[in-house]
Amino acid sequence: MPSNNTASSSAAGSSDSSTTRRNSKRPKYSKFTQQELPACKPILTPGWVILTFLVISVIFIPLGVVSLFASQDVVEIVDRYDNDCIPPPSRADKVAYIQGAANKTCTRTIVVPKKMKQPIYVYYELENFYQNHRRYVKSRSDAQLRSVRDENQIEGCKPEDDVNGQPIVPCGLIAWSLFNDTYALSKNNQPLNVSKKGIAWKSDREHKFGKNVFPKNFQMGNITGGGRLIPNVPLSEQEDLIVWMRTAALPTFRKLYGKIETDLQENDTIHVVLENNYNTYSFDGKKKLVLSTTSWLGGKNDFLGIAYLTVGGICFFLALAFTIMYLVKPRRLGDPTYLSWNRVPGGGR
Amino acid sequence: MKRFVYINDDEASKELCCDNRISNTKYNLWNFFPKNLLEQFSRFMNQYFLLIACLQLWSLITPVNPASTWGPLIFIFAVSASKEAWDDYHRYLSDKKANEREVWIVKHGIKKHIQAQDIQVGNIVWLRENDEVPCDLVLLGTSDPQGVCYVETAALDGETDLKTRVIPSACVGIDLELLHKMKGVIECPIPDKDIRRFDANMRLFPPFIDNDVCSLTIKNTLLQSCYLRNTEWACGVSVYTGNQTKLGMCRGVAEPKLTAMDAMIDKLTGAIFVFQIVVVLVLGVAGNVWKDTEARKQWYVQYPEEAPWYELLVIPLRFELLCSIMIPISIKVSLDLVKGLYAKFIEWDVEMVDQETGTASYAANTAISEDLGQVEYILTDKTGTLTDNKMIFRRCCIGGIFYGNENGDALKDTQLLDAITSGSTDVIRFLTVMAICNTVIPVRSKAGEIIYKAQSQDEDALVAAAAKLHMVFVGKNANRLELMFNGVMIRYEVLEILEFTSDRKRMSVVVRDCQNGKIILLSKGADESILPSACAGQQTRTIAEAVEHYAQLGLRTLCLAWRELEEDEYLEWSVKFKEASSVLVDREWRIAEVCQRLEHDLYILGVTAIEDRLQDGVPETIETLRKAGINFWMLTGDKQNTAIQIALSCNFISPEPKGQLLLIDGKSEEDVSRSLERVLLTMRTTTSEPKDVAFVVDGWALEIALKHHRKDFVELAILSRTAICCRVTPSQKAQLVEILKSCDYRTLAIGDGGNDVRMIQQADIGVGISGREGLQAARAADYSIGRFRFLKRLILVHGRYSYNRTAFLSQYSFYKSLLICFIQIFFSFISGVSGTSLFNSVSLMAYNVFYTSVPVLVSVIDKDLSETTVMQHPQILFYCQAGRLLNPSTFAGWFGRSLFHAIVVFVITIHAYAYEKSEMEELGMVALSGCIWLQAFVVAQETNSFTVLQHLSIWGNLVGFYVINFLFSAIPSSGMYTIMFRLCSQPSYWITMFLIVGAGMGPIFALKYYRYTYRPSKINILQQAERMGGPILTLGNIETQPRTIIEKDVSPISIMSTQPKNRSPVYEPLLSESPNAIRRSFGPGTPFEFFQSQSRLSSSSGYTRNCKDN
Repeated sequence: MPSNNTASSSAAGSSDSSTTRRNSKRPKYSKFTQQELPACKPILTPGWVILTFLVISVIFIPLGVVSLFASQDVVEIVDRYDNDCIPPPSRADKVAYIQGAANKTCTRTIVVPKKMKQPIYVYYELENFYQNHRRYVKSRSDAQLRSVRDENQIEGCKPEDDVNGQPIVPCGLIAWSLFNDTYALSKNNQPLNVSKKGIAWKSDREHKFGKNVFPKNFQMGNITGGGRLIPNVPLSEQEDLIVWMRTAALPTFRKLYGKIETDLQENDTIHVVLENNYNTYSFDGKKKLVLSTTSWLGGKNDFLGIAYLTVGGICFFLALAFTIMYLVKPRRLGDPTYLSWNRVPGGGR
Repeated sequence: MKRFVYINDDEASKELCCDNRISNTKYNLWNFFPKNLLEQFSRFMNQYFLLIACLQLWSLITPVNPASTWGPLIFIFAVSASKEAWDDYHRYLSDKKANEREVWIVKHGIKKHIQAQDIQVGNIVWLRENDEVPCDLVLLGTSDPQGVCYVETAALDGETDLKTRVIPSACVGIDLELLHKMKGVIECPIPDKDIRRFDANMRLFPPFIDNDVCSLTIKNTLLQSCYLRNTEWACGVSVYTGNQTKLGMCRGVAEPKLTAMDAMIDKLTGAIFVFQIVVVLVLGVAGNVWKDTEARKQWYVQYPEEAPWYELLVIPLRFELLCSIMIPISIKVSLDLVKGLYAKFIEWDVEMVDQETGTASYAANTAISEDLGQVEYILTDKTGTLTDNKMIFRRCCIGGIFYGNENGDALKDTQLLDAITSGSTDVIRFLTVMAICNTVIPVRSKAGEIIYKAQSQDEDALVAAAAKLHMVFVGKNANRLELMFNGVMIRYEVLEILEFTSDRKRMSVVVRDCQNGKIILLSKGADESILPSACAGQQTRTIAEAVEHYAQLGLRTLCLAWRELEEDEYLEWSVKFKEASSVLVDREWRIAEVCQRLEHDLYILGVTAIEDRLQDGVPETIETLRKAGINFWMLTGDKQNTAIQIALSCNFISPEPKGQLLLIDGKSEEDVSRSLERVLLTMRTTTSEPKDVAFVVDGWALEIALKHHRKDFVELAILSRTAICCRVTPSQKAQLVEILKSCDYRTLAIGDGGNDVRMIQQADIGVGISGREGLQAARAADYSIGRFRFLKRLILVHGRYSYNRTAFLSQYSFYKSLLICFIQIFFSFISGVSGTSLFNSVSLMAYNVFYTSVPVLVSVIDKDLSETTVMQHPQILFYCQAGRLLNPSTFAGWFGRSLFHAIVVFVITIHAYAYEKSEMEELGMVALSGCIWLQAFVVAQETNSFTVLQHLSIWGNLVGFYVINFLFSAIPSSGMYTIMFRLCSQPSYWITMFLIVGAGMGPIFALKYYRYTYRPSKINILQQAERMGGPILTLGNIETQPRTIIEKDVSPISIMSTQPKNRSPVYEPLLSESPNAIRRSFGPGTPFEFFQSQSRLSSSSGYTRNCKDN
């Protein structure tokens, strides 16, 4: 082994200066450098822990009840129509029917179970539809939607990017597969106005979809996907498209179709004349029409209430269990008798 | 390989061409980027991240914007590159300063002023007093008529005393004017890094003395970076320049040490990597299956019928990219950062400042603080480490009469003073040896006092004591020594100095008494090297007894001896000595052999006893650290008895009934093997008993044991908690460290002298004491501390905290990365296993870099237990030693926690934000917020002590998360425009957050409480006790005041009834011994005794071979 003496480990040029420096420079005292910042060291005493769990349960259980009530207050009518809207003779081959040219008008009747206060939201619900699919979710061009100048930015839009070299506006799979079932509602034979204004996010209308961007070459390709757009209406006003292009993160999702701005009374009968255009049959996707009021928590969703009750209940149970444990088997904290340093001498391994 | 340097001859030296430009820089302007990048990419982690980043450029597979990986990657690279650049720039500046310094050289007989970088090999360089030597020079002349000059070598070896340098004999008497015209050739070895050796020859050309080869040693050189002191001018010829100087060659990048913790983190990273690959494969296959069965039916996805060849790879690669965040890109940066801070805490610690000298602790290696907390073996040097190395002459025995026995101070012993005044020959000779048999340089200060500059504390003590006894060493003028005895000036001329080496264990000088012209040999050395050379007639029994007696008192002993030489004998020997001094190969050994021929038939004058006090707090420190489960080995060059005495007095071993000492000795292989076996047997049987068993082994037995019974010795090393190894050489110290390391123990070596350097470098952690024996050890070490007792604090406080903090930080880093990764994996199951990312690019990038890195960094000031508690219960260190806080099972806990939290966040998010709310951006942000909230609470729960900083960073980070996202939500072009504003205005968002926190933290909190109360670890118990102020804290107060130590020092320590007092030790090197004196010991205790006989000489060829092996 070579004798590797003295200063070999330090860069000698600077080391002598560091030597003198460290000799002359005493460390300055400060609470931080001495790691002596005043600190609070909480320990888990039974009292605090039981109290914490109790407090959590006391907060969570009422919150759960409130949430549950909020959810219960919401009146929701769900009508699945994908199967029923296919005439029985065609049910053997639904895909052929939906892709055929036959008249797809279908009438549904809904009875309002409870008084519904306005605004009542009309949603369409799709199931087993993967708007979050990697190939799908990326297939759009935000630049193109925003400004007419960028209409050639279609790189991400494949395979619905252009027709004969002309860019499609709006391009991409999402726009191409626009949902195109339509609903015409009537209450007690009076047409019920479904407002389609303001169903999309305001920010989207104003900043994401350009006021001077008009559809171009849309649905002109070899295969037609979903709905068509009105050519001379700017994208910022095509709210169905804007709603559709807010992709859903889950395979089951609802999208706003419109708003009813009148109250619906209990036992009102609503007739829906719908155009069953959209093909969910090739992948067994369900289609539902949803009418729903809303609460402070949103739509009808019992999950939060139940979850809160569960967590609150568990916390309460834990508080109880810890109390019992504490009473039955009290244990002194920091008892020195538990400190046994019985390590085997001789390098205990 | 040799180099021929032609003095003052530009043409002849041209081939050596190397100029004196010093370059310590790693890079230059052009190669910085390629070289630095190449260096960074030599690390596996970086290669991995680069691969990921490159894959992300393929837009088909990238789940998110490539910026989410490139951003952090470039950031991390930029950080370490700019650090490198900064360091390198400073190196460049200091080089530049050194290179552009003006120096005087002689060219074509004319003195010229040039820049230091333009010095060529062969140039004659002139230096003035206090100049720094610009390159390695061979001295040619000095202002001193005798050709002596003094240099300070602090920058080279850290020793602050002055060293003497002399001009080669061939140059003596050359006129100042002629020096300019001097021509000659120096035959020297090719550049090496041995700063203790320069085996060269010089021959001057006519008109100077021809044909006479003059040997050169390190004594004739001025090495780069030394300072010329106390000498008006000196000149020399440059032999090594630039980066080829001894100093330049010594410079080397120390191998980075890897801590056990780093190794564990790497292992866990590997495990995560494997896990990631499995996940990628499973999801990749599932994705392809789903694509073929389901996705083809999803017409809106438009999967083409015809797929390119790489189609099958696309989905697995997408998942690879999605899962790449499993290995946190930030962990290395965070770790480097906190490790730097740990080191700073050590340097800042005012409790580790040596009050006497004001030296703060220093962490040269900032990367291994955690290892301090995992130390299992401490190997310590004795002199200067356990003891003060402040030598005081206490007693002596001259001609069989003990002085200083009554009052413990020979200087005040009237008997001795009487003997001096009466002029007893023995006593005067004794004092003469004390005064001049050394390499001390007396320097007259401005006030007229004489200050001794000594390399060895022992010599200093002896000279100072002699002065007090009226034998004052007044001046040294080249070879002339002046002694003032009772007002009478006595002059001696030094003929030769037979230097000290650790193998010879003695030194001698040959002087001529200027009064009567007699030539005298004066020797001093260890008893085992002096007594065998005693003259036939002398009874050495009393001397040996005196040595024994003093050793038992824990005093360091030296035997002084004397012999008058015949003129012929000296002349004859002197030729041989010169010959030996000019050989290029194995010079040291040859010299030793020649010296041996002179040092015989000595008349033993007596024994000196020098006290070396134990440092303050040594016994307490050792006791505390032993309680902490750390095993101590003492490795010393000292005698067995003194070593054992010291060991006893500093709690190293317990006295008899409790402790047991097992001796391994023997001179032959059989003896050693027998005794080793016996010791092993005892050791095996006593391990079950609560008894302190220690083994004692000396250098010779160790040599044999390591050579022939390595396996047994290793077993012994494992069994034994304590060991005393005496009379070991530096290389044996290093060997012992190696053995313990090979058994997978974490070793810490602590020492103060040059002889400990190898051991310090070898050990996992090297600690140097910046003591009196120079700074050599402190420089080679990873940490340097002022006093031994700081070791306690270094290990128990800094080491332990560092370990705990890094354990948390690293596992937490994995936890947070896994958390977000698990959510992505879950999400892929509801997105058609297609590799969609739930989170947007900005979030993913900011998650690791901003949102989750700040709170955890503050864990560097977290303290689980207060320092006092740890000091009182050092056993708690066991948790760190055994790696209880970072191991696969704790990691599994964090893994499970991240899985659980991922499930909580995911399930709650997709249910709370179902149906009409299931918008992609919103859902992603809700899930991300859930993660951030959980993070904050997890950090809060794992924090043991909340300071302002912790609160600030944990809750401030949470606020910061919202601020950052509000900012992004305000940019219309960003994907998440208005998202955060929308969410924050929804009650359901906040309700969801509370639910996530409640559901995520509740069970973990409950589990922690249950463990804490009903299955507490020792740490928990102490935490509770600390808060409760229970009785534990008043138990066993180990912390002692400095005062009590002195008491202890005085009070007799039981055992060994023969011994009245317990004093601090002992004998070690007379001169600071060179660290490269790594040769094996010459033989058993009495190395040179049969040297005269030829048998020994013939056997020495084996020794020579050994040297080379070494």
